Amino acid sequence: MMLLALALPYAGFTALCLAMERHHEQVLGRRRIAPGLRRLLRLAGWLLLLASPLPCLALAGWGGGSVLWCGMLTAAALLLTLSLPYAPRLAAALALALPALGLVLAS
Amino acid sequence: MKPGFRQSMAWLHTWSGLLVGWVLFAVFLTGTAAYLRPEISLWMRPELEVTRPGPDIAPRLMEAMARLAPGSPNWSIGMPTARDPVARVFWRDPQAPNRRGFRDAALHPATGEVLTARATRGGEFFYRFHFDLHYMSPIVARWIVSACAMFMLVAIISGIVTHRRIFADFFTFRPGKGQRSWLDGHAVAAVLALPYHLMITYTGLVTLMFLTMPWGAQLAYKGDRAAMNADIFGNAPVTRPAGRPAPLVGIGPLVEEAARRWEGSSVGRITVQNPGDARATIQLVRQDSERISFNPQSLLFDGTTGALISATGEAALPAAETRGVMYGLHVGRFAGPLLRGLFLLSGLAGSVMVATGCILWAVKMRQQAAKRGRVGFGTRLVEHLNVAAIAGLPVAMGAFFWANRLLPAQMEGRAEWEIHLFFAAWGLCLLHPLLRRGRQAWVEQLGLGALLFGLLPLLNLLVTRRHLGITLAEGDWIRAGFDLGLLAIGGALGAIAWMVARPKVAGARAERTAASPLATAEAAE
Amino acid sequence: MRLPPWTGILSRSIAAILGGYLLASLVAACCALGLALPRAEAVMTGAMLAFAVHAGAVIYAFAVRSAWRAWAGLALPAALLGGLLWLLQSGGAA
Repeated sequence: MMLLALALPYAGFTALCLAMERHHEQVLGRRRIAPGLRRLLRLAGWLLLLASPLPCLALAGWGGGSVLWCGMLTAAALLLTLSLPYAPRLAAALALALPALGLVLAS
Repeated sequence: MKPGFRQSMAWLHTWSGLLVGWVLFAVFLTGTAAYLRPEISLWMRPELEVTRPGPDIAPRLMEAMARLAPGSPNWSIGMPTARDPVARVFWRDPQAPNRRGFRDAALHPATGEVLTARATRGGEFFYRFHFDLHYMSPIVARWIVSACAMFMLVAIISGIVTHRRIFADFFTFRPGKGQRSWLDGHAVAAVLALPYHLMITYTGLVTLMFLTMPWGAQLAYKGDRAAMNADIFGNAPVTRPAGRPAPLVGIGPLVEEAARRWEGSSVGRITVQNPGDARATIQLVRQDSERISFNPQSLLFDGTTGALISATGEAALPAAETRGVMYGLHVGRFAGPLLRGLFLLSGLAGSVMVATGCILWAVKMRQQAAKRGRVGFGTRLVEHLNVAAIAGLPVAMGAFFWANRLLPAQMEGRAEWEIHLFFAAWGLCLLHPLLRRGRQAWVEQLGLGALLFGLLPLLNLLVTRRHLGITLAEGDWIRAGFDLGLLAIGGALGAIAWMVARPKVAGARAERTAASPLATAEAAE
Repeated sequence: MRLPPWTGILSRSIAAILGGYLLASLVAACCALGLALPRAEAVMTGAMLAFAVHAGAVIYAFAVRSAWRAWAGLALPAALLGGLLWLLQSGGAA
């Protein structure tokens, strides 16, 4: 559950990030994003961010959970932003690996 | 929006940040260290064993206090916790030479016997320093720190206005491109942890509000401090002793009563007034690590009959609860290991934000100076202070830990000397850039910091028996984790020193990228 | 008469720091006496709000076009709150 609390905002931020031309190029080498894909990435990103408080609330209740969520958003965004310039593909791959691992560990 | 609004906010952001940046950096970094106050204190007292608190610890501690302080009018017993596994007690003793008539001791969490450890302020020093500074009146220091926090709040708000591309640049960090990278780093540290920065700054102001904003209280209570303290802090009224001896009631049932009222959560502190007297009272305060709000919940009992006299803080009113939550968020004592880690990360992001802001100013000034062909005194001064404040503070903190390990255990004024050496090391870091210009000063101070932190676990091996070989084997995770953390900090400082030392790679790469069409396209965005 | 630019900055700074603090204190005092809440609640509400007022005053003092406006914009609410405070205090005494 702890890993999921980090994985959901990380995956959400990565999706939003890939919907931006500059970062899309950084990771995939193409600057152009098909409009459908862009819409899909944005939607997925926002849905993941919307779902991201749930593991935190499950871990720590309303009060502690909302503080935990803010901290997780910061940690996820820092992890993504600081790893992008050094290992863009790994950073993007983590967005798939972390939630999967989190789901396995939480179940 | 008016033309020029953004420019005036940019100006305000630059100057409100720069003027107090060095103090803010010190407050941020030592405040971040204060999240680990119990861990630092334990590491700095290697003599103390880590033992689980015994089941009947409260009665043991009360017996210990009766032996230690039989004639004292006031006992205070801080219960052992998982993070700080010894009982910290203090009591009033009019004959005590220092600390305004108080004596203190650390007691064994199972037997209640007095534990002896080297004299040190431990993590308490960083916690106190981050709002009381040192070598000055705490009141003056708190005014200074509050004023700096207000500058910080203004810098944050004006910074948000100034930063036009918060969302477009949300994930943007371009290392190795000179000024551009400093700006990116500053923005990343600021924006990604913005909720924390706003929270910690505002709640910091609120923790000191009765000092800095006393006017409402003074008018409403017309200077009646006792009434105000009872109203706001729920302080138990001071009772005079009756002069007739009477035995104290057993503490066990009172602790059970507290656990029942607080839904199983534990007692954090026991205070006893007039023990052994017919008018004794016992107050139980709830463990503050169990709720966000810092409003203390407490139960006051008659010390001879055990009857409940009053319960405070059970239903706090909205403003009191708001202040309690703000205070609780600031000190973060409710945070478990995971959340504490995130607080540490955010605190470090805050320190990085302040540091990169100060460095960015100097980098910009250098570039303007390169055009004019002359470096002004102001630029030199800021560069000098940046080195001493940013690279010098880790050196001073490292020196503090080294002093803790190397000063003789029985030395007179030992705890104070650890602190003197902290400031002596910092003072040398302030002089050092006079001899070594520019990069050289940065590299040497960061490198020294890296050595000090990185070698501490090795020093532990030589002078204590709490080194990694033993702590890891015994499962003493607090001390083992602390040593590993010191290694990590040493490694990080070393890596930064190495990056600063690399000659001219950054400049060359920046020029190459600037020539590429992609960079031109981005610049045009 | 044209003053050198640093006088404007100095004047705005004084308005922001001292004027802003005065305004914040007046807000805190008026809340403490004027809000229909238990005494401790009113006091704390005012004090907690005061820092936002001070920060807002600083931003205002540097955002407006001239130092004169900065002073005027802080003096007007301060005068109103001062009057209110006087009413609250004399009302409380009567």
